[in-house]
Amino acid sequence: MTITKAVCILAGAVFLTACSSTKVVLIPDADGKVGQVSVTTEGGEQLLTREGESTEVVDASQAPKAPVILEQSRINSVFGATLASEPDPPIRHILYFSFDSIELKPGSGDTIAAIHKDILGRQSCDISVIGHTDRTGDDTYNRRLSLQRSENIIRKLTNMGIAPNCMRSEYYGENDPKIKTADGKAEPENRRVEVEIR
Amino acid sequence: MRILWVLLFLLSFSCVAADQEPIGKVKTYKPEAVIIHDGTEVEATIDTSIYAGDQIVTRAKGTVGIIFIDGAVLTLGPTSRFTIDKFTFNPADNDVSFISTIIKGTVSFISGAIGRISPESVKFKTPTATLGLRGTKILVEVK
Repeated sequence: MTITKAVCILAGAVFLTACSSTKVVLIPDADGKVGQVSVTTEGGEQLLTREGESTEVVDASQAPKAPVILEQSRINSVFGATLASEPDPPIRHILYFSFDSIELKPGSGDTIAAIHKDILGRQSCDISVIGHTDRTGDDTYNRRLSLQRSENIIRKLTNMGIAPNCMRSEYYGENDPKIKTADGKAEPENRRVEVEIR
Repeated sequence: MRILWVLLFLLSFSCVAADQEPIGKVKTYKPEAVIIHDGTEVEATIDTSIYAGDQIVTRAKGTVGIIFIDGAVLTLGPTSRFTIDKFTFNPADNDVSFISTIIKGTVSFISGAIGRISPESVKFKTPTATLGLRGTKILVEVK
């Protein structure tokens, strides 16, 4: 028995509190993507990388337990109430721009219409309009360009009747590319505005 | 010297003001769920604003679902206690972080732009462990 455990049990007996434990489960997101999570204690670390993989820590001085795959029924029995209360995930649309321009690419009308429809459908007053650039041009220039792209879309949506105070203009410059590239590289997929409807 | 004090005063003011920017909103809830902001308890309801430093508490039947300004989605199940320790979101400066503590309860979390821009900046502390989320969805239970 470790000292921590002994202290825990003693404390439990005196204060009628149980010791803390942590269970972590890695699951796919709404797009089916499975990421990674590291679980670290004073005693060691486990990295979860597979769908449904889970580890547990019952003692901070010990390494997390060896990962096991949890069945869906087990996940539901522990997390059912939580999963049932999840908000609808944000709706995301992407609009593309010409090189070094704040004008939309031709043919963007359908996406603009879909954005308008989804804002009304969700009755959302919690919208981010996020400007991005590719990695040609310097950082300062790209910040400004990404902001101007965002502001241009906000103007368009405002003209369509969306309340400006429901839209948040954001600019990420070149820091959140859709396709990762070397600096200075032109990439049409990265010249974009993302509209996130929450 | 006097100018220094004035500057310090203005600086402290600007810091407080910056902290008061909402970082998320409540999207779903079941009573009882409360947000503790600056020592004041507010009953969670649709569109309740969430701020950095807030503590979120659910009672025996309560749940709450929050979407943050970076698109991250957090849901707390019943009998949970969760603190947002740090939320920094200046994506154009590559200055982002989301650090929180799960004191107890059940949590579902899906990372957003902060996790995309800087995967090492999304961290959860629990009484026994530290979790580093490198995209995108996890469930955590702390008993």
